[in-house]
This record gives sequence, structure tokens and C-alpha cells, in this order.
Amino acid sequence: MIRLASFASILLLWFALAQVFDPRHLPDPLSVMELAFSEADSGALFEHLGATLARVAAAFTLAMGLGSALGYLMGRNRLANDILDPWLVVLLNLPALVVIVLAYLWAGLNEAAAVGAVALNKLPGAMVFAREGARAQDPSYDEMARVFRFSRQARLRHVVLPQLAPYLAASARAGLSLVWKIVLVVELLGRPNGVGFKINLAFQLFDLRLLLAYALPFVAIMLAVELLLAQPFESYVSRWRLDAARHRH
Amino acid sequence: MLLDIAIDAKDHPGGAGRARRVLQGLRLSLEKHQAGAVLGPSGCGKTTLLRIVAGLDHDYAGHVATPAGGRLAMVFQEPRLLPWRSVQDNIRIAAPLASVTEIDALLADLGLGGHADQFPSRLSLGLARRAALARALAIKPDLLLLDEPFVSLDAALALALRERVARLIDETGVTTLLVTHDLSEAIGIADRIFVLSKPPARVVATLDVATPRRLMTDAARQELTERAQAALAAE
Repeated sequence: MIRLASFASILLLWFALAQVFDPRHLPDPLSVMELAFSEADSGALFEHLGATLARVAAAFTLAMGLGSALGYLMGRNRLANDILDPWLVVLLNLPALVVIVLAYLWAGLNEAAAVGAVALNKLPGAMVFAREGARAQDPSYDEMARVFRFSRQARLRHVVLPQLAPYLAASARAGLSLVWKIVLVVELLGRPNGVGFKINLAFQLFDLRLLLAYALPFVAIMLAVELLLAQPFESYVSRWRLDAARHRH
Repeated sequence: MLLDIAIDAKDHPGGAGRARRVLQGLRLSLEKHQAGAVLGPSGCGKTTLLRIVAGLDHDYAGHVATPAGGRLAMVFQEPRLLPWRSVQDNIRIAAPLASVTEIDALLADLGLGGHADQFPSRLSLGLARRAALARALAIKPDLLLLDEPFVSLDAALALALRERVARLIDETGVTTLLVTHDLSEAIGIADRIFVLSKPPARVVATLDVATPRRLMTDAARQELTERAQAALAAE
């Protein structure tokens, strides 16, 4: 309830400020909404949103899959950690913009370079989360599984993944918020469609209405993903902890 | 012979040159359907012995023969139930071949009927130990390993659980190796008691418990107790 009121106050503030400022600097919410609806009517809004979301999904999946696998390996295997750790440090400290420009220069202004550059930005984070998760595995459950001769599949599903899940969920949430921001930069610099491309257009035309008409629906979608998918997933995988905590009180 | 243990030497890794010998020249064996108890003071390497039998520790000189291809089950000192699965699922995961009816019967038999759907964190230590025992029995093991299964339970609870375990072992005829520091526990469960020396531990006495247990006279129990205490004191 408080959250809702707080959210409404942002809208109200915007509305009030828009009355004071020049619409070229701050258009009012209604005119932005009007433009967003007309762009939706023509199909352009969905086309660009779709292109951006597809890139977010591809880069996120790639980085989470590869990063989690490598990070888990590093957490379990000393040699793998020694080999990959310097790479991880370099990747962690490489500015997103450098990765993006290098990817475009080396691979050309294409989709693979765009998605690859975004994934590369999320990769080290995913590795760190998974490595921590792997290191936090309780060896006593592993021993139990060995004595009872759990199959490899049962060990993965019932022993490893439940312990890894909270780390993967946190990694996914952190990753999603990073990926969708960087995707816009990648689009702005070198793609002919997507929300980032439209923002670039709005920037050059000094058109704040256009900018907000594309940016806000995209933000709304990512918020919905966070609230309806990422957070519920996180609480689902930690439900047994919650149960234990409730019981203690 | 179902279980044959001959450990020449087992060292506990310490710092450089500070490795401590835990077991030396330890020999013991069990026939099928026998229940053996390894009795010894705390810290004498009993758990180490059990870990070797369970295949969790390979770093020793000697030879341990367990039933070839046989199923092994262990009840650890800490129950080691998967905290993210219900009691029932813990058993089902460990014993995928056990039927629902069998699992239900086991749960009921161990007084866990009302706790099947609970997460292990809800259980008291006594209940969690019973759940771990149900998991071990559900796989119908050829060899059951029990590591101090009644430690840190209050006396009445420990006794009740011990009687239940003894009955289950008698009924199922499962070959059992129990590790304990408590003589009355050893007498209450085992057919044969192996008394260990201080480290480096070896078997200093093997005592046979007259079975069936419920027919044991107080005098026989007293004599057994004295012999075990004498063996422990001789060290």
C-alpha cells in the first residue's frame, strides 16, 4: 500500500513539474502516454520492444548458462579456479563500453556481436555467484549421497541444485537488471532497431516525448519480469529456509 | 562372512610430522544377520572406522571386505536429512525402489506418521534420528551402519528409541555395525561386542551377548558388563 502511494507520488510530481517546465524539456505524462499508444497502434512500439526483449533473453540465457557452469567448476575444482580466475578478474574490471565497442570492431555491427557483448558483461558476475554457491555446498550431504549411492542425476537434482538455487536466483536477478541496461547501450551504438535505437533517435531529435514513450513501457516490462518471475522464483527456492525460520519464532 | 575388517594402520592427518595414528592392527568381522557393536571411549577412532567401512575414507593401510554389490545404509550422528525436502521425500529419494506402502509402514512403525510432509527443520533431534533411521532401513540394506544413534537424546527417549531399533534389527535381520561409547546401548542392540583400546585402537576383547536378548538374566547382563569394563580398564 505504501509502495503504491509512493509510486503514485512520483507520477504526481512529474505531472506537477510538467506544468512548470517547457514541454520540450519535460513533456507531461498524458502526452507521453498518447504517443506510446499511437506507436503501439502502428505496431512500431511492439516491434522495437520485441527486438530488445529478444536480445535481453538471448544474452541473459547465454551468460547465465555459461557463467554458472564455469563458476560451479571453479568452486569445485582448484585447477579450474587457478586457470580461470585471472580471466574473471579481467572481465570483472573491463568497462561495459570497451567490451561493446571491441565486439563491434572485431565482429562487425551484427546481432552476434551485440548479444555476445552483453553476455560477456554479465558472464563474470554469473561466475562469481555460482562459484560462491559451489563453495558453500555442505560436504556432509555429499557424503550421505555417496553412502546411499545416489545416482548422478539424483545427486544433482536433490543435493547440488537445491543448495545452488539461492545463489542462482540472486545471480539471475542481478544479471537481469544488468543485462537490460546494457542491451540499450548496445542498441544505441550499433543496431537498426530496438528500444536503444529509438532512444538514440530521440536523442538526436531532442524529442523527450519519444524517448519516454519507448523507455517507460520497457522499464514497466522489466519491472513486471522482476516482480512476477524473478522474486517469486527466489522465494520458491528458499521456501524451506522460510519454513525453518517461521518455525523458530 | 559378510563384513571383514583388517586395518593395519590409519593415520589422522596432522601438520608435517604430526600425523596421529588412530587405528592399528584392528580386526573384526560379522556374519550375515549379526549385529555388532564397536565399544570404546570417545575419540578412539570409532567414527573413523565407520567412515572406512562406508567407503568415505580410503586413506588407510589394510583391507575391508563389504558385501560385493551390496547396499549400504548409514545413520550419521547428525541425521543429515536434506533440509529442502520433506521427511517422506528424503526417504523416497534415498530409496527409489521402496514402494509408497513400504515407506508409509516404516514411518508409522517409527512413530513418524504425522510428520511425513514436514521439512526436517521442524523435527526434534529424536524425530530427525528416527527419520534418518527410516531412510536407512527403506533401502533394505545388506549392511546397516549406526554412528552413536542415541547420543544427545535424553535418557528416556534414548532408551525408547534403542528398544525400537533393537526390535527392527531383530525383525528385519539386517546385518548391523553400531558404534557407541555406551555399554548398555551395546548390550541392548548387539549380539557381539568389540571393545576397542585407546588410540591407536585395536580390538582388545570380543564379547558375545546371549540371545534372545529379552531372556537375558540380570546375572548374565552383570557378568557381561564386568567383562567389558575389565577390558576397557586393562588399557
